[in-house]
Amino acid sequence: MRHFALFTFLIILTFPLLVNGQSKYSVSGYVKDATTGETLIGANVYLKETLKGTSTNSYGYYSFTVPEGDYTLVITFLGYKSIELPLSLDANVKKNIDLQSMSYTAGEVEITGEKKDENISSVQMSKNEIDMDLVETLPAFMGEVDILKTIQLLPGVQSAGEGNSGYYVRGGGPDQNLVLLDEAVVYNASHLFGFFSVFNADAINNVELYKGGMPAQYGGRLASVLDISMKDGNKKSFHGEGGLGFIASRLTLEGPIKKDTSSFIISARRTFVDLFLQKPFIDESSEIYGNSYYFYDVNAKLDYILSEKDRLYLSGYIGRDVFSFSSRETGFKVRIPWGNATASARWNHIFANKLFLNTTVVFSDYKFSFEAEQQQFNFKLFSGIRDWNFKSDFTWFPSVLHNIKFGGNYTWHTFTPSNVSARSGETDFDLGKIIKLYAHEAAIYINDEWTVSDKVVLSGGIRATYFNQVGPFTRYAQNEEGITTDTIEYDNGTSVKAYFNAEPRFSGVWKLNTVSSLKGSLTQNYQYVHLASLSSVSLPTDVWVPSSSRVKPQLGTQVAMGYFRNLNENKYEASIEMYYKDMKNQIEYKEGAQPDEDVKNNQDNNFVFGKGWSYGAEFFFKKRYGQLNGWVGYTLSYTDRKFPDINDGETFPAKYDRRHDVSLVLSYKLSKKWTFGMVWVYATGNSLTLPQSRLFLNGPVDLAALANDQSGYGQIYYEYGKRNSYRQQSYHRLDISATLHVQKNKKWESSWNFSIFNVYSRLNPYFIYFDDYIDEETGEFKLQAKQVSLFPIIPSVTYNFKF
Amino acid sequence: MFKLKSIKYIVMSTLLSTIIFFASCEKDITVDIPESDPKIAIEGYISPGQPAYVFLSRTTSFFAPTDSLSLIASAIKGATVTISDGIITDTLVEVLPSIGYLYVSTQVLGQVGSSYVLNISTQEGEFASAITTIRPPVALDSVWFYAQPELDSLGWAWGRLSDPAAPGDHYRWFAKRLGKDDDFIAPLGSVSEDKFFNGLTFDFAYNRGQKPNSNEEDDNNEESGWFKQGDTIVVKFTSITRESFLFWRSAESQTASNGNPFGTPAPLKSNITGGIGIWEGFSFTIDTIYAN
Repeated sequence: MRHFALFTFLIILTFPLLVNGQSKYSVSGYVKDATTGETLIGANVYLKETLKGTSTNSYGYYSFTVPEGDYTLVITFLGYKSIELPLSLDANVKKNIDLQSMSYTAGEVEITGEKKDENISSVQMSKNEIDMDLVETLPAFMGEVDILKTIQLLPGVQSAGEGNSGYYVRGGGPDQNLVLLDEAVVYNASHLFGFFSVFNADAINNVELYKGGMPAQYGGRLASVLDISMKDGNKKSFHGEGGLGFIASRLTLEGPIKKDTSSFIISARRTFVDLFLQKPFIDESSEIYGNSYYFYDVNAKLDYILSEKDRLYLSGYIGRDVFSFSSRETGFKVRIPWGNATASARWNHIFANKLFLNTTVVFSDYKFSFEAEQQQFNFKLFSGIRDWNFKSDFTWFPSVLHNIKFGGNYTWHTFTPSNVSARSGETDFDLGKIIKLYAHEAAIYINDEWTVSDKVVLSGGIRATYFNQVGPFTRYAQNEEGITTDTIEYDNGTSVKAYFNAEPRFSGVWKLNTVSSLKGSLTQNYQYVHLASLSSVSLPTDVWVPSSSRVKPQLGTQVAMGYFRNLNENKYEASIEMYYKDMKNQIEYKEGAQPDEDVKNNQDNNFVFGKGWSYGAEFFFKKRYGQLNGWVGYTLSYTDRKFPDINDGETFPAKYDRRHDVSLVLSYKLSKKWTFGMVWVYATGNSLTLPQSRLFLNGPVDLAALANDQSGYGQIYYEYGKRNSYRQQSYHRLDISATLHVQKNKKWESSWNFSIFNVYSRLNPYFIYFDDYIDEETGEFKLQAKQVSLFPIIPSVTYNFKF
Repeated sequence: MFKLKSIKYIVMSTLLSTIIFFASCEKDITVDIPESDPKIAIEGYISPGQPAYVFLSRTTSFFAPTDSLSLIASAIKGATVTISDGIITDTLVEVLPSIGYLYVSTQVLGQVGSSYVLNISTQEGEFASAITTIRPPVALDSVWFYAQPELDSLGWAWGRLSDPAAPGDHYRWFAKRLGKDDDFIAPLGSVSEDKFFNGLTFDFAYNRGQKPNSNEEDDNNEESGWFKQGDTIVVKFTSITRESFLFWRSAESQTASNGNPFGTPAPLKSNITGGIGIWEGFSFTIDTIYAN
């Protein structure tokens, strides 16, 4: 019944299209950078007379349809010179537009006149874009520019921890963020405990974050979508850029394969700490000799303009972290490689100017493995997830009043949960069969954005989703004590469990006047793949698992409302957004679960399920351009969880609960040579479970020894208090940077970035532990709480060049 | 024995410390932990041919001052403690009535295959109960010492186990150096279950455990954790119940992951109703290694 109502709504929404009989023509085309030939995403294209128009999609394509007549077509894009073109519309018109980048120097930054204001007029709310030029002037932790850390500075987005590129959006966990790199899902977006993200900023063109009001073309995650587009190669001439930083060096090369029609770009980054942990820098007898850690990333992309109507993009990413350690003392050796690989092939096709099709084939793979040996012991663990994905997305521009998106998406998932093998000498331990889990995931969607009047735009859509876990699969049936009592085998291809759901998406904007608007949205999302973590930090060992007969899909319902206001001719933008999010079928490990309980078992046997909710208000004030730009954001939020089997069934604050969160981001261009950046963050401390009482146990002892009181106080053990009832100290930090541009000549440009992380060396809490000791004077047993902090003040220098 | 978890902790911690070779800093802080209501803390065991020993005390607030007086104050005095093997119900005797704490059976001695119900009622009106059984002992095929070549005279104690064909065996390892340790000591990771090695014969190794807060010299220098050539090592290999295994695994996991960001708070998995701790039956075999 509910679904019927939705479809009726959609039909009503599209009805005006069907009854319209006037002569109308379309104007469409691509918007590109005149110097590099790169397509521009989100450029505004509109008619000066009516202010009606659209913006370019993620392939730089625009199209809209208006009644015949004479118009002036205006194209604007931040950082580019606006263009006005006369347009006489008596037939369908194709206009490809090249925009000239403004020389990005102080005093010369023009304020482009009537900039149409997306943030006021667009129906999309809860969305932020990251300006890559700004990111590069901000302080960089250890010299590595990191878009995920920039995203954390937006209201509604919280850092997962000290120096961590992981992020939480509106009270959601890290697995509830969909991260797309050229439409390929990236399952683990961080290197090295999250200190660095896998995205090499040199290879990134555009970053969009949806915290709510997700359009129907996105799905599969509860909290957010981070849509990252890699740069296209320069179609006009050959260029390169690179840098040498504190821990890594980078090089990017790009150029035309065939001028104006095809191009390539390849970008690579690698850390070099490991090179210094070898001879001649370190003596063979040193303790750290034989230890090594490095990571690297390679991004590559090819694009071809096949014809006026067809474009082809091939892009790929591979990144690996490799850690190795050996101790000659104990003969202990370990090697831990992990990383992502993605590849996508995309084909854009334009049908009759009004219908844009993008078809994508994606491969995505995340792998983790761990090999250890010690004398005759041998231990191996591997896990991962691999997807094959096929999707087609249509954008149909039937009239200037409607923008309809529809499409379908299919994914074949292969999950490899923790598989372990171990041997002692010739004996293999029995750690069960290699487990792989398989699932089909599919979705179809339709969404119409309908300009109802000059004041009102509505968007309504529905996404129908399907998930099916299939065999081969072994279900370990367990009794209450966690002992396997039976195993149930499913054959190749048989259905283990299937889910079918519909997800409505609605949003609307009501323009109060030219500078302010009210927006609202109601969205529902189902999530079929999950990440449950045993530890309190995100680790590469965290394993993705599918929905199954035990694990129901997560369901999130979010309502958001906002007031948007621009000031001073759109130089400043301000917004207040409020949201409430309800989350069902949330997953946690059982209390006290141990890692080895996942072995020779279904991981989901160790899960418990509950619900959660989050609500809050986000305040955002941004100066968009000029010598000084940046923003200040403040978030007030409450996030709770309630699980029957955790915390005696009582509500507890989620790990992601942060009451206050403030970010101040500034970039100041002093002169052609100098740009300064600053970031200050403040956040309420993390919630934590601490012990509440204690006891001493000796373990079975000889009575004689006890009488001699040799056993002292025994071993202390804790009884824990309420889950997450303790708050760590608040987190705050100031980072600053200075960038010095040195323009040698037209062919070679270079800059130095000096960054200082944690300027006032605030010792922010990373974790707390309790040290117990016996006071030698009094013989008293003492406990002392200790707070460990990771990063004090850390300066870094990075040299960057471009040619 | 099979120390998947400890390996992970070791590696993750090493990984972290290797990379963060910049100063990571540590400071004393004050945390405000509310007072808690005391619970009965029980540690009781029974083994073949031996009486039952039950140690009774109360949990205390986390930061409550602790010296020998307060420890004595936390002991439970005058409780009525009984065990029953289904035939005889024996009331345990308080060895030192002025202190309380230790209660010992006088009529019931442990027997392989029997079950024992423990009942406790305190003068303050609290009740606690638990049940356990004594599983048959499993002897090690052999035990030996192997000195690490790089370490001259230091090494681990090794054993070879042939696990019985039926599943459901759980073990705990203790060792004691004659003339050096007063007591059997269980190293971290002392418990194991046959889920991963049911019916197999294999070799394993243990490092040397130490007493909590030990100030012995060889627990604080480079010999810490190692056995040494010349040691006479007595190995007590116990066959325990699943409840004991779960309890000691959770207890050792607390000790190993205290505050570690890679661990989660591990509550003790107690088998006691009305209290916290463990009531366990176990059987054991003794082997001796002359380390040379």
